[in-house]
Amino acid sequence: MQDFKPGSVHFNGVVKKYGAVTALTKLDLSIEPGKLVTLLGPSGCGKTTTLRLIAGLESATHGSIHIGGEDVTHLSATYRKVSMVFQSYALFPHMSVIENVAYGLTVKSIPKKEAHEKAEDGLKMVGLEGFGQRLPSELSGGQQQRVAVARAIVLEPDVLLLDEPLSNLDAKLRRHVREEIRQIQQNLGLTAVYVTHDQEEAMAVSDRIIVMRNAEIAQEGTPSDLYQRPNSSFIADFIGDANLIDCEVTSTKDKRSKIDVNGQELTVNNIAAVSGNAKLVLRPHQVILSNSGTAKGFKGNITYAAYLGNQIQYTIESDLGHLFATSITYDAPLSVGDNVKISFDTTQVSLVSD
Amino acid sequence: MKKSATIGILSLAAAFASSHASADELSLVCSAEQSWCDLMASGFEAKTGIDVAMVRKSTGETLAQVRAEAGNPKIDVWWGGTGDPHLVAAEEGLTQASGADTAQLLDWAVNMHTISGGKTVGIYAGALGIAYNSEILAEKGAQPPACWKDLMNPAYAGEIQVANPNSSGTAYTELATFVQLFGEDEAFRLLKEIGKNVNSYTKSGSAPSKAAARGETGISIGFMHDMVKLASKGFPLKIVAPCEGTGYEVGAVSIIEGAKNLDAAKQWVEYALDADVQSLAQTVKSFQVPSNSNAKVAPESPDLNSIKLIDYDFATYGSSETRGRLLSRWDAEVKP
Amino acid sequence: MKRTANLWLIIAIIGFCLLPWHVVEDGFWSFSWVTNIGYVESSSALILMLVYGKFWFWPTALAFAFVATCLATVSNPVTRAKMIASSALFGLVCTAFQGLVIVRDGPRFFTDILNFTSINEGQIGFGAGAMVTLVALLFILTTGVSAMGKGRGDAFVIGLIGLIIALVGVFVFFPVAHILIRAFENKDGTYSLIHFIPRLFSSDIWGLGCFAGGTCGPAINSVILATMTGAGTTTLGLAFALIFTRTQFFAKPLLRVLTVIPIITPPFVIGLALILLFGRTGAVTQLFADMFGIEKSRWIYGFSGVYLAQMLSFTPIAFLVLIGVVEGVSPSMEEASQTLDADRWQTFRYVSLPLMRPGLANAFLLGFIESLADFGNPLILGGNTNYLSTDIFFAIVGSVADPAKAAILAISLLMLTLGAFLVQRRWVGTKSYATVTGKADSGQHAALSPAVKAACYATALPWAIFTAIVYIMIFYGSLVKLWGYDNSFTFDHYLQAFSIDFSNGIRWTGSAWDSYFTTLTIATISAPLTAIVGLSTAYLLIRQNFAGKSAFEFSTMLSFAIPGTVIGVSYVMAFNFPPIELTGTSIILIIVFVFRNMPVGVRGGIAAMSQLDKSLDEASITCGANSFTTLRRVIAPLLGPAMIAALTYSFVRAVTSVSAVIFLVSARHNMATSFIVGRVEHGEFGIAIAYSAVLILTMLTIIILLQLAVGKRQLRRTDRVEQSA
Repeated sequence: MQDFKPGSVHFNGVVKKYGAVTALTKLDLSIEPGKLVTLLGPSGCGKTTTLRLIAGLESATHGSIHIGGEDVTHLSATYRKVSMVFQSYALFPHMSVIENVAYGLTVKSIPKKEAHEKAEDGLKMVGLEGFGQRLPSELSGGQQQRVAVARAIVLEPDVLLLDEPLSNLDAKLRRHVREEIRQIQQNLGLTAVYVTHDQEEAMAVSDRIIVMRNAEIAQEGTPSDLYQRPNSSFIADFIGDANLIDCEVTSTKDKRSKIDVNGQELTVNNIAAVSGNAKLVLRPHQVILSNSGTAKGFKGNITYAAYLGNQIQYTIESDLGHLFATSITYDAPLSVGDNVKISFDTTQVSLVSD
Repeated sequence: MKKSATIGILSLAAAFASSHASADELSLVCSAEQSWCDLMASGFEAKTGIDVAMVRKSTGETLAQVRAEAGNPKIDVWWGGTGDPHLVAAEEGLTQASGADTAQLLDWAVNMHTISGGKTVGIYAGALGIAYNSEILAEKGAQPPACWKDLMNPAYAGEIQVANPNSSGTAYTELATFVQLFGEDEAFRLLKEIGKNVNSYTKSGSAPSKAAARGETGISIGFMHDMVKLASKGFPLKIVAPCEGTGYEVGAVSIIEGAKNLDAAKQWVEYALDADVQSLAQTVKSFQVPSNSNAKVAPESPDLNSIKLIDYDFATYGSSETRGRLLSRWDAEVKP
Repeated sequence: MKRTANLWLIIAIIGFCLLPWHVVEDGFWSFSWVTNIGYVESSSALILMLVYGKFWFWPTALAFAFVATCLATVSNPVTRAKMIASSALFGLVCTAFQGLVIVRDGPRFFTDILNFTSINEGQIGFGAGAMVTLVALLFILTTGVSAMGKGRGDAFVIGLIGLIIALVGVFVFFPVAHILIRAFENKDGTYSLIHFIPRLFSSDIWGLGCFAGGTCGPAINSVILATMTGAGTTTLGLAFALIFTRTQFFAKPLLRVLTVIPIITPPFVIGLALILLFGRTGAVTQLFADMFGIEKSRWIYGFSGVYLAQMLSFTPIAFLVLIGVVEGVSPSMEEASQTLDADRWQTFRYVSLPLMRPGLANAFLLGFIESLADFGNPLILGGNTNYLSTDIFFAIVGSVADPAKAAILAISLLMLTLGAFLVQRRWVGTKSYATVTGKADSGQHAALSPAVKAACYATALPWAIFTAIVYIMIFYGSLVKLWGYDNSFTFDHYLQAFSIDFSNGIRWTGSAWDSYFTTLTIATISAPLTAIVGLSTAYLLIRQNFAGKSAFEFSTMLSFAIPGTVIGVSYVMAFNFPPIELTGTSIILIIVFVFRNMPVGVRGGIAAMSQLDKSLDEASITCGANSFTTLRRVIAPLLGPAMIAALTYSFVRAVTSVSAVIFLVSARHNMATSFIVGRVEHGEFGIAIAYSAVLILTMLTIIILLQLAVGKRQLRRTDRVEQSA
């Protein structure tokens, strides 16, 4: 199982329309071999359509698609070297687990015995050894999901596609299975495209994330790129929580800008090089609260406080508007009604366009 | 997929290449009773050695098929069934002259031959009559009818059954008989009167007598040989030859225009007119009167000599023009 | 794509150059065309073209050349695909056109322009060569179209669409057009549209007099009857299906037989049995008259009798459609409903029943159409009421043949069918009814609420008992001398029909054997073909998107909706002459059954397939299976009940159908029903019923074997029904 030829994926001006509805407007995209790339976005953003276009389950209205350098725009799904894990798992209910996993091999005219051996290897890889003779209906959700993964990977695809594979699992299992998927992908050196609407899941498994919105790519980059350097308020809000504070850029020099926030002048990072009216991205953990009367900062009043064990969450009405903050300081917990001063490290926060 | 498609094509090709007629063969459509058809076909095979491929179809169906196949017929000869459709086929040029010898035949059979220009010839005759179920009438306390006009008797209310002339040749023969007996206007008046007693106008001509046999209706109008057959099976069916006189049908045989086995077809016509062959009909309980004057008549058969038969004008009442006129008048005046 | 196209091109060239182009008199497999190589009749198109100067084959040859050139020289795949497709289309059109124009007597049209000796000699029908060439050209066309990127580039799907369109075109539209065109014919033989419209909407057909105490037109009578039959059979079918899947009823196997038996009954038999039970002298009527002094009447002759007979005849169809659907409703959805505190009735009413909607709609549509086209029951029991189907029959075979009237009535009937079809489509809508997803569940079906259960028992069980009585009567009737009159026991009817002489080897001396064997052979060949064509069509309709899908769907219903008589006559008109000569063969019977019964396969397939989640297909495809493998290994096994239904139904219909085959049976290929109807016409009920009883037993045996062979699909290890407390 070492001779994988991971494939790259390229979209060149791909447009997909369903009648009058545009699902994708002129998408250009490239995915490097051996990487796990996540398509992330709210529902209806075009991420599943993109995945189905790679699989060949939909055909592009315009533009071309290349997998591993080969033009597959008009090639049917059958002949593309991709395999897919479905949100519903799509296990064949009339076949046993081993038959399900061996299915793709047997349709390629691999002798049944050999196919079953390979399928057994696949099951071993997902930790389901010995479950081969059961029917899918006799497995738990997580087990069914792993069968679906095994069925996809035994085909040694150039590209592995995963369509919200974890959405039917509970939170704990979800973390466990996504680690397994990531591990298998890295062990086999597979190119994988992963669709999800859960940003935490995306951050956890991806080499790279492509955030989609309204049938277009909103931003792409590594998880930390997206978190630390969002290019829009949408991304800033979508990737991790953020307080978006209205401000005005007054001058910019060496990617640092002077801004006017609520009448105060601050100097902050401006990687996106925005000017004029902008938003300051303030992550909840970056908010520093102080109840000592001498502290500097914007004025605020705690309206809600919740103790969560590993952190405390606060909601504050302030000069900057409605703020959400988290704190890991337990020494002096604040209470509802406390007046506080709000500050943050200006080297850590950034600006996005309004 | 390719493999299965190829197999599919091969089998289709095989199917399309299936066999056609071979030399000594005759394709026959028979419009009489099945048992009589079987008897005739096997007798012909034994006599001539010609293989008979026979299928039974009603006259209406046969005529529709002969029409649809015109130009490339699959049928050689059409034997049996009431004469009207045979005459229509002759009129439309769907059949051809058989050159049969009519010397031994009775007048009504020769008549068919003459008016069709030799294209069809009579093989048997059957008179129209009334049948009643003796049990039902006894239960109702009604006298049996003796004449057509008796059928207007209000005592028979809801007890008479007769076919619809639009669908049944038998019923059309009855309509034409009334017109010839009483004159057109009087005939329709009578039919309308009788109609008050009619419980339903069936689609099929033989249905009323079958219903009468079982007691579903008290009285039926139809061909007497059908009634005789039912009575001979044990049903309490009594048969009446109407006192005013009655019409009749002539069963016929025709050779289809463009027949592939013309010689065999001609032999069949000759065979069908043979006295000995016609005498056999009674062995399968077919009680029509044979057309060959030398053929034996079954004792059960209605004796045409004792029945007052009208001089039925097949030429006039068989023509599509008269037929169309009478039927639309029937629709307008008699139809419920 | 190049390989596939190359292969089909080679097949086409073989058909054109080597095989005999026309029909061979003594059959293709006699291979007499190999030895008779010099004769026109056994020549290939190539020889005809080069040696006999039949120049109209040049365009076909030219098409081959185009295709070959494109394959060899054009490198851009899309351009190449377009060029191949248009060349193949050109070849197809030219080949079909010459066949239609040049018949036995020379040119059919354009006699002045086509006045050449070689044309005037005429030609006979298409044979093996022509068939192979045409089919191969068709597949070159579809391969080309799929390579143009249509239909997600799936050659199998495009090929299947092409094939089914071609088949429906040739075997439904082509013949039916022959008769429908007569609707525009005037009395003098000319054609016009002006007279057609008033005749179509005349009050003779659509009169509403019966609501004012008079009589209605046949169309109105038919609509009322069909609506009631559709609703009634669907209700009863649902009741039976629920009893089967959701209760612990003790006599399920017996019930199963009773629900199936009416459709395996040859025509006229149910009508006769009803007369003997409820006619004026019928057994039940007598009983009631003696016991309660109820006056003997003839109520069975008329609307109520026809309705009763149709309910008996068509309830099994509704049941067959519904059982698969009811079974397929996922238990977990019912469980979900119950966990949301819905009681059993609410679960049934708001979850199970709505999920069965496509099944209910399809069952209703089938009942409606069957009732419209049924002609045996109205014929026997109709009394004075007119229905479209019988009126059409007598417009063709009555004492005044009026094909124009038949055509107009047939068009009225089609309008009704189209209307029902559209209403059904609207009602089902575009909601998803998928309940078999790839996510396995192992729940148990909800038991019925006591009220629903009681309602099911109350409707279905009396009906089952009634059916049982009718069939006991029929069996009894075959064993007495004169049914309804002389009730002494006899075995004569069976001996007459089915005697075997062992004195000199086995000789099948009974009069029924010939038609019996022919019927079974033809039904056995046509049933699987019908199921394949029907389910493939359902697959295309449910799973694929293509332009003109709705029209395509309706066109597959056409042959079913048109009364058999019309189909029969139109088949004779269309297939008695070149280019396709089939009359007098067994092929025409097989074809008429396949295309007449295919809609049932389609309906059943659609109902069952809309329960299968699309991701199952997609999972198979992304595993590298092509559409054909997917169909075979994933969809077909999950369609078990629909498959059995289609097979059973098409087999049975082939055995019991009468109106379509009356014109198509020939001496060599006579069918059982035609034999039975002949006997009934002449009052020989005994033998007719004995024959029917044998047919019923034969079919029952075959159906049971079929059930065992196809087996039950296993979606869950056990199909459980909640024990009702």
